[in-house]
Amino acid sequence: MISSLRLKEFVRRPPVVLASLLVLAIIGFGVVNRLVNRFGEQKKALGRHLFQSSQAELRRGQSDDAIDDLRAALDYNPNNFEYELTLARVLRDTGKTSEAESYLIGLWERDPQNSLVNLAIARLYARQKLPEKTLQYYHNAIYGVWPSDAPALRQQTQLELIHSLLTENAYPQAQAELISWSAALPPDPNLHLTVASLFMDAHDYDHALDEYQTVLRRDRNNAQALAGAGESAYRLGRYRTAQRYLSSGTLNNGRTPESKQLLETTNMILDANPYARRISAREASKRVVQDFERAGTRLSECVKEKNIVVDTSAKESSTQQNSANVKSSGTQPSEDDLSALYQRWLALKPRVTALRISAGNSLRDSAIDVTFDIEQQTATACGAPSGLDQALLLLSQNPTGAER
Amino acid sequence: MSEPVTTQTQNPVAPGEAPAPSNHTHRIAWFSLITSFREERFFLLLAVFIGIFSGLAVICFRLAIDWTRIALLGPLPHPHNLRLLIVPTLVSLLVSVLVIHVFPLVRGSGVNQTKAALYIYNGYIPFRTAIGKFVTAALAIGAGHSLGPEDPSLQIGAALASSLGRGLELSREKLRLLAPMGAAAGLAAAFNAPISAVLFVIEEVIGRWSAGILGSVVLSAVSSVVVVRWFLGSEPLFHIPAVAFVRPTELIAYAVLGITGGIAAVIFAKAIGYLRPKLRDLPRYTQYLQSAAAGLMIGLIGYLGAPQIMGAGYNYMDQALHDRFPWRVLAILAGLKILTTTLSFVSGTPGGMFAPTLFIGAMLGGATGGIEHYFYPHLSGSTATYALVGMGVLFAGFLRAPMTSVFMVLEVSGNYSIIVPVIVANTFAYLISRSLQPIPIFDLLTRQDGLVLPSLEEQREQAILVVEDAMRAPPVPVLRSEDTVQQASIRIQEAPEDTFIVQISPSGWNTVSRDTLKKLMGEGKGEMTLLSALPIRHLPHLHPDMPLDTALRYVSQFPLVPVVHRADLHKLIGIISREDILKKYQLSEIEED
Repeated sequence: MISSLRLKEFVRRPPVVLASLLVLAIIGFGVVNRLVNRFGEQKKALGRHLFQSSQAELRRGQSDDAIDDLRAALDYNPNNFEYELTLARVLRDTGKTSEAESYLIGLWERDPQNSLVNLAIARLYARQKLPEKTLQYYHNAIYGVWPSDAPALRQQTQLELIHSLLTENAYPQAQAELISWSAALPPDPNLHLTVASLFMDAHDYDHALDEYQTVLRRDRNNAQALAGAGESAYRLGRYRTAQRYLSSGTLNNGRTPESKQLLETTNMILDANPYARRISAREASKRVVQDFERAGTRLSECVKEKNIVVDTSAKESSTQQNSANVKSSGTQPSEDDLSALYQRWLALKPRVTALRISAGNSLRDSAIDVTFDIEQQTATACGAPSGLDQALLLLSQNPTGAER
Repeated sequence: MSEPVTTQTQNPVAPGEAPAPSNHTHRIAWFSLITSFREERFFLLLAVFIGIFSGLAVICFRLAIDWTRIALLGPLPHPHNLRLLIVPTLVSLLVSVLVIHVFPLVRGSGVNQTKAALYIYNGYIPFRTAIGKFVTAALAIGAGHSLGPEDPSLQIGAALASSLGRGLELSREKLRLLAPMGAAAGLAAAFNAPISAVLFVIEEVIGRWSAGILGSVVLSAVSSVVVVRWFLGSEPLFHIPAVAFVRPTELIAYAVLGITGGIAAVIFAKAIGYLRPKLRDLPRYTQYLQSAAAGLMIGLIGYLGAPQIMGAGYNYMDQALHDRFPWRVLAILAGLKILTTTLSFVSGTPGGMFAPTLFIGAMLGGATGGIEHYFYPHLSGSTATYALVGMGVLFAGFLRAPMTSVFMVLEVSGNYSIIVPVIVANTFAYLISRSLQPIPIFDLLTRQDGLVLPSLEEQREQAILVVEDAMRAPPVPVLRSEDTVQQASIRIQEAPEDTFIVQISPSGWNTVSRDTLKKLMGEGKGEMTLLSALPIRHLPHLHPDMPLDTALRYVSQFPLVPVVHRADLHKLIGIISREDILKKYQLSEIEED
């Protein structure tokens, strides 16, 4: 009896109570740990199974079922990065953009350096046509942390960004990206050709020409590079260079209709250029007269087309001013402008002969000015020209660079 | 009138201060201090163990609910699956039998039962209640009843703590403290949110602010959360991106949400308050069928196309926060959840109302946000933001725990950028709910059960009387201890009072009556100063902001107690007597009537 009381008293002493509770807690921890692990594994397995089902459904094109499975998989394994990212991608690709954005931003906040997440967000914003955010997240993806094969994936992402920018006609940004990308390119002609073609798409003909020339330095007979270099030189107004590339023997066999057309126009420009360096004074005068006549014909056709009655009494000075205004503003010329231009041409016509032009530079320059003005204003008023008129129009845009 | 003589001390004694002890008393005091310190430490360690055991129990409870749900409803419940109809009905029948015959104390949420245990049964909650709540709530929630695991976790924690206290044969006083500790631990573990759990237990279980218990409650709540995070990770319940305010005027949108939520909370509370007694008044045999009928109706709703309303619904709340549902669907889900939770709860099925409240709030918040975005597309808050704020709104409006509602939103989302909209919306919801439904839901339920328990809301409405309310101006003249008895007698000749305050140099206060002065004069002590003539004692002093209850402790011993300035103890602001205090209490009672 006494010993039982003593035992009871001993058991009720605080240190003994606390030690007993500690032992109980340790046992409890062990049991719960086992339960949590076992149930956790079951849930993970369930999540995996649902994820695999979703992949199969995606392959079969059953996106809605896949989304349901992915959501459930995420319920069973809430912090699984792969499930969440896949769900977000599928939501994005099926047009559920706000839900996709919500998941993706959540993932991004957890791991802002992750390139896969940034790329997924960039694609989402590209879909939503939000250029600034698209660019930001593509950059994050490019310079972020990739799980493997980072250089290749970076290059691929940068290429994707460039395509995205080109689709949105964001040429300056695309050019900037291309310049940065091309700087780190390995000496692979195919890659340089791709970059050059992208530069062409981004309207950066200078860099495109450089890239094509890089390829040609390694392989001078590369037909694609020759055609590309010819076109880029043509777009730059460097018609002599364009002619050199476009008329290359290598191109003769596989010339495309486009490059053939470019070569024809180039030849026409060079043949019509009165400023050409290696021609005689007589030949230059002859070209001035021919161009002037051609421009007159183009103008009279345009005036007729527009039913404009030409007032031959107007003064030359005022018509010159009108012409200048139209040129500088780049707007559609009015009937008065075209009428004034026609008067200028008519006023000059009696004097424009090969003989007189050979005699003085002033008359030559006036004739060429009128010719170029006519081609530019008729192009605006009566539509794009063809043949020699097209050649003269292109020449008028860069008369001094044509021989480069 | 003779005055009591006190031990001579040089320092004035403020309430709560101990007099300077002798050597012997010093040793006794030291011993008792050590003992009490050991007891205190033991109790704090006990709080930690209560937290650990509650945490472990709640983890098992959560696993049991998940396991039951997967086993009974399948891993991916789809509409038009017959399981959704059959399982809730049959399981509810089983639960009814268990509740009626084996575990009669586990009906309902468990919050009221815990509060009743604290105030009526001296903290006694049978261990059987913990087992019963665990089993029946896991079955009911797992089978799809529209109830949550938080309130049962609270009751399980409280029952464990109470059982532990009884096992250790703790005193009745200590036993009463254990139930709230266990309740806080259980709730904290269920929500993974210690601050909200502590606040909720103070607001709803204890029903009053009590500094004495706060430390132990916090300790047990934190311990349980540590255990839960150890096993289940420390991720918050919901993830939403940070909220950035573009314009402060956007708060108007959140105020609208608060108003909508307040109205929804009132509808929800009124529905429960109206239907619960009606169903309880039905014949006893219907008790077996009520839960099954509720289960069947819930299953039918799930079967017909809304399985989201079945169970606690945390995964669907998360999906709503991720913008899965358009606002029309969110509004329908909120309405259906109010209906199904009302059915589940009034049928007496064991389970909590926290998760359904959050669910309704999230859906309603998302729907309101969606409508507002439709009309004002420039609003910067996302659907997730509105859904999260909506959770707090319903919590404030329905459960009427305003402080808990704010911290709960912050803790479950781990997002502190949302605090301003939450406070604005919750305030509106709380005020609307208070004006349209004067009795909070938990009080209403306890009153329906025939109990009247204290509530913090009631306490908030009560005016707290302080010394300043009852004190009066000091009697003129205030005598000084250097005054002779004769001088003092002359000075008081014109005064109407019978008792006067004496200011003792350098500090302290005493009182002297007209009769005492007369007596001293009669004894020929007219030339003596008051300091030497009067028995030496120092009155305790009060400050104007002290509760009137505190003053009551002193006025029974002293006819007058001086009220002095806190920054200048020599500055007498007023005096207070027992009559003053009683008069004030009487007056305030008349005013309240």
